[in-house]
Amino acid sequence: MQQNNLHRLHDICHLTDSTYILRIERNNLEFQPGQHILLGIAGTYEQREYSIYSGTDDTYLEVLVKEVEDGIVSKKLKRMKPGEMLNIEGPVGFFTLSQEVLEQKKKLLFVATGTGIAPFHSMIKSIPDLNYSLIHGTRYGHESYGQSDYDPERYICCSSRDKTGDYQGRVSAYLKEQQFDADTYCYFCGNFNMIKDAMGIMEQKGISQEKLHTEVYF
Amino acid sequence: MKYNIVQLGCQMNISDGERVQQVLDKMGFTPTDSEEEASLLGVIACSVRQKAIDKVYTKINKWNKWRQKKSLITFVSGCVLPADKEQFLKTFDMVFPMSELPDLPQMISQYGVVTQAGMRPLDKGLEEIESQKEKSDPQMEGLQLTATVPSIGNPQNSLLKSDSSIEDFWHIKPKYGSGFEAFIPIQNGCDKFCTYCAVPYTRGREVSRPSSEILTELKQLVADGFKSITLLGQNVNSYGLDKKGDELSFAGLLDSIGAYGNSIDQDFWLYFTSPHPRDMTRDVIEVIAKYDCLAKQIHLPVQSGDDEVLVRMNRKHSMSKYREIVTDIRELIPQATVFTDIIVGFTGETEAQFEHTIDIMKEFKYNMAYIAQYSPRPGAASSRWADDIPKEVKKERYHRLTGELMKHSLEYNKKLIGQTYKVLVRGKDRKSGYLSALTEGRLIIRFASTDEALIGQYVYVKIDSATAFSMEGQMVEHAYAMN
Repeated sequence: MQQNNLHRLHDICHLTDSTYILRIERNNLEFQPGQHILLGIAGTYEQREYSIYSGTDDTYLEVLVKEVEDGIVSKKLKRMKPGEMLNIEGPVGFFTLSQEVLEQKKKLLFVATGTGIAPFHSMIKSIPDLNYSLIHGTRYGHESYGQSDYDPERYICCSSRDKTGDYQGRVSAYLKEQQFDADTYCYFCGNFNMIKDAMGIMEQKGISQEKLHTEVYF
Repeated sequence: MKYNIVQLGCQMNISDGERVQQVLDKMGFTPTDSEEEASLLGVIACSVRQKAIDKVYTKINKWNKWRQKKSLITFVSGCVLPADKEQFLKTFDMVFPMSELPDLPQMISQYGVVTQAGMRPLDKGLEEIESQKEKSDPQMEGLQLTATVPSIGNPQNSLLKSDSSIEDFWHIKPKYGSGFEAFIPIQNGCDKFCTYCAVPYTRGREVSRPSSEILTELKQLVADGFKSITLLGQNVNSYGLDKKGDELSFAGLLDSIGAYGNSIDQDFWLYFTSPHPRDMTRDVIEVIAKYDCLAKQIHLPVQSGDDEVLVRMNRKHSMSKYREIVTDIRELIPQATVFTDIIVGFTGETEAQFEHTIDIMKEFKYNMAYIAQYSPRPGAASSRWADDIPKEVKKERYHRLTGELMKHSLEYNKKLIGQTYKVLVRGKDRKSGYLSALTEGRLIIRFASTDEALIGQYVYVKIDSATAFSMEGQMVEHAYAMN
């Protein structure tokens, strides 16, 4: 049955008005980069799934949260104070890099929208020498969370509502313009419509379905 | 003192209920079909649909009115979402997860009910009860109501700190509801998070039961003459994955069971439900093909034939992956029947997407499909989305898909006419003067007989006629001569 484990909130780092990182005491929680946890405030019953943002060797466990306008949990989490307790279950999930991909140093395409960048942040921080390209779709350039954590040669911010990103327009438009090796392993995380469009584009570009991996944020 | 349990939901809940009954029986309670007669009333709840949870509220409201006239103890367990649990804590005497069932005697004893087994906490589940019971006078009921039952809404028992776990729960020997068919839970919980389903929030993470216990329970059932045994789990074929190499894989478990089946001179059919396509591997199908006792029937939920819908459902498999599995089944076990589950009218499902589900019905020619019209399940992710497919459209899709299913199941069943099949007789048929039976592939066959001694036996039936969902035939001979 469900085991709720209490973890203390260390601090909250606000990245924008609506997006923040919860830094949480880890309590020896082990995970694979790309996995997620179920998280809620201790003493309440509402929980939500959040991808782990931090690396496997980091001292604290981090999740990247976007405050949902009509949401319940994300609003309450934002108001938490350091020292308050959270319930964490997990880690769970299958959005991870396989042994085959890692051992053969496959070419990786990571595509995210918004806070969907979290699992890729964890992968890149945890696994050295990944042969990746990271395409991050945001509305505005300043929403390119954690940009400094990525190799600038491997990171593209596609901003759809201003010109401050590396590319102006949606992720799908960017992908259409690019060429990809058929041997590229593609990972998509974030908004359903982006994932649907991106999968279609990559299939048209000759990438087989078994190389397409998705984690939809609902 | 009598008890009555209202069981709602799936086979897992039925199986859980068998363990609850065992605990109560061992405490000296006696079952009754009448709620009015019972002093202990319980619900094994289901959160699959709001309607099922509404039934729980209806029951407890009725039972609490009876308290003005009589002393009652009430409890609820099973699949309960956290939000409902909060409400139930105010209305039921006891609210506990199934993993805490071994503590039920202790909880009940706090309500002033004295039983030989219920005076102190159980450290080792029902084995403890068993040993105490054996030491006490077997004639003694051991029960008396010594004090007024506390007022409702006392959450004390619901919040008892318990060290019990699902592993302790599995130690309890169930009170099987049948003498020839049984469920064996092998796995509990779900890590898949399909967006339409609340199970990950009610049953928690995937936990596998030790294979040694499963095999012990299975061997006992076979020794007791059980002929149809079903391994149960929310994701039954994810068995062992949580143990990260320290437990058999699902294929390994089936192989052990198959080898046991080969080693004995007794027939049984072993089924499993429900597998998740994501974790369905070719070696599972190879093992099923290898052993006679592993029934040649596979229930493989697809839910939708459209890749986009599958992504929205967060099913974590594509149609190409699913197609590979069915291809493997057809190649390795051509005689296998294939069943599935499908949801029509899922949020945002377009007509074109639904047509893809019609297409797979034609392609895979299922023997049976359990088709549900989508309804939001409280607590599941999709319950936060607009349920935007009108009821009439869902209904129309349901009927079209059922029509397509019937074409193929009828075609399949008609091909069986004239053939003789070994079947397991399950009970009286709705048609007067007939008994109802299942083939190894779980196809329904009825035959003319009023001999109730055949129930629970294998017999051979020659098929005379077929409809889409059942067949009719004549008994040729008893099968026990063959065993």
